Amino acid sequence: MDKCKLMREISAVSFAAWELHLYLDTHPCDENALEMHRKYSERAKELIEEYEECFGPLTHKSGSGYEWVKDPWPWEYKECDC
Amino acid sequence: MFQYEKKLQYPVKIKNPNPKLAQVIISQFGGPDGELAASMRYFSQRYGMPLPELKGLLTDIATEELSHLEMVGAIVYQLTRNLTIDEIKKSGFDKYFVDHTTGIYPVAASGTPFTAAYLQSKGDVITDLHEDLAAEQKARTTYDNILRLVDDPDVRDPIKFLRQREVVHYQRFGEGLQLVTDKLDKKNFYAFNPSFDKHCMKNYKNRMK
Repeated sequence: MDKCKLMREISAVSFAAWELHLYLDTHPCDENALEMHRKYSERAKELIEEYEECFGPLTHKSGSGYEWVKDPWPWEYKECDC
Repeated sequence: MFQYEKKLQYPVKIKNPNPKLAQVIISQFGGPDGELAASMRYFSQRYGMPLPELKGLLTDIATEELSHLEMVGAIVYQLTRNLTIDEIKKSGFDKYFVDHTTGIYPVAASGTPFTAAYLQSKGDVITDLHEDLAAEQKARTTYDNILRLVDDPDVRDPIKFLRQREVVHYQRFGEGLQLVTDKLDKKNFYAFNPSFDKHCMKNYKNRMK
């Protein structure tokens, strides 16, 4: 998958996991939501591993030095088709 | 503790700089109903939360607000890149430029710098949650006003995402308030401060075990 497409996919899946996480703060016993949260979190983890292997670390745990500091940083404008 | 993820919560890709819009949108960075105030409000208030669900909720929403602060910063940053002095003068951005160049500074659209007076931490869970509900609505109204002023779809898209998050947070805080009041005397929720007068919570002794 290309870089932009993969990042969009990570954003979407991570967002679904996060939204369920917030919901579970006030509904901690909702089994259905717990199961959905587990699925989305696992998928996000797989996609992040794929991204980091090709395009560099997203957290300090997966890389340091030049790989970590290299541009672009998230707030910078990136020209692309997507 | 906190760790950085090198990505935005939702993408910000603005093709055309526009310093006029930047001056309005910066209010959600350092203004009275902005993301910095939101994040600091919930981080400060969470210590007084008497229920574990609420400690989790305020911690998580405070954390999400920091990612929103980062997104608003990215919007303002991209709207003010590669400006000429002529564009700066014509757009009225000169009043910001003189103090900050194109640096991102927490300030309201009016030019008032960020102040902790925008938020309260009252040490009373009912009082604090009502402030939080109001804060989410005020931020939602501000995003609605921004959407009235902005035509560029590259800017509207992330602003619409941020507006929607205010609605979701409002819902979660409402559920949080319900969780507390369910544990209080239904005839008078306001007889005590549940964060301070801990004995007023139903099953208080069981919860302490």
